[in-house]
Amino acid sequence: MPIKNLADRWGGVSITLHWLTALMILGLVVVGFAMQELANSPTKIQVYGLHKSIGLTVLALTVLRLLWRLFAGVPQPAPGTPRWQQWASSATHGALYVILLAMPLSGWLYNSASGFPLKWFGLFALPRLSGYDADVKAFALGAHSTLFLALAAIVALHAAAALKHHYFDRDRTLVRMLPLIKPPAPAARDHETGA
Amino acid sequence: MRALLLTALTTALLTAAAAAPAADYVAQPESKLGFTATYQDEAFQGTFARFTPVIRFDPADLASSRFDVRIALASAGTANAERDEMLLGSEFFDAAGAPEARYVATRFRALGGNRFVAEGTLSLRGVNKPVPLTFTWTPGARPVLAGEASVSRLAFNVGTGDWTDTDLLPDAVKVTTRLVLEAKAQ
Repeated sequence: MPIKNLADRWGGVSITLHWLTALMILGLVVVGFAMQELANSPTKIQVYGLHKSIGLTVLALTVLRLLWRLFAGVPQPAPGTPRWQQWASSATHGALYVILLAMPLSGWLYNSASGFPLKWFGLFALPRLSGYDADVKAFALGAHSTLFLALAAIVALHAAAALKHHYFDRDRTLVRMLPLIKPPAPAARDHETGA
Repeated sequence: MRALLLTALTTALLTAAAAAPAADYVAQPESKLGFTATYQDEAFQGTFARFTPVIRFDPADLASSRFDVRIALASAGTANAERDEMLLGSEFFDAAGAPEARYVATRFRALGGNRFVAEGTLSLRGVNKPVPLTFTWTPGARPVLAGEASVSRLAFNVGTGDWTDTDLLPDAVKVTTRLVLEAKAQ
């Protein structure tokens, strides 16, 4: 697997960041819903702390991903992809990046406006984005919830598009983002062309 | 003329009352009562918005001095709605069960200069235990009492169940107060 992105496939860094982010978002959703059901206890504060720390990690990884994308470029759309789909793909990916930045930031703002300290996995403290403020708190919570719904919708679209490319268009759009899959051998390419 | 005489007499009486030994004082609105606790190595501050101190104090007459402070537990706040809800709840202050804490001191020791210790008793959540309050007394028309005490929260069952873990929430809570006093109207 190449480290950098090539014209026809994603490199190791992008693939790792993509699936690590996907895994962490899954964890954030599960923990995010479960933690609200807990009774007030030190455990609840720890579970919230876990959610906050994973969210901050997503924020940091997204910044890294965008920098890497700037440096390493992105593969071309699969050959034969219509222009409207290329446009839809760019819009979806743009929206995903915006949400991946805005969601942790809204959570961080909610935490600050609620008057809680913030420590990344208990290791180091992060600054407050706001003082204790009921209005900011309500705004940030609203934003966090709305962004979650938007994220759910866009991830569904993103995954549906990947599956459509894989099963209907039978192109390499999904496969080239999967780890441990070698580029197709020339014979396989001939076979695909033949089919 | 009579009105003037009456005013002069009243003023004289009030002045005499203020100058009398071990005068009774009440706190002015700028007075503060608060605490500093630590959770997961992060200090946080709390305040009591409503508390009523009645202070009788004369540095030269400690024997007849007396503090009596009533604290409305429901007025406690730490600038965090979720934490405040927990603080007032049954595991901490239990403000619904025992709405008032009270601090009464009748024994005092001079530490030299303007520093003193009140050997008082704190009543909180139905527990009565001695809590010494170290304070400075700045005399004047409006004397200022600035004090500090260390309270063992566990001695008063503040933070029960899982909250007894002192690694998370240390036992010692620092209580600070600054009272700006004026002679009580007789």
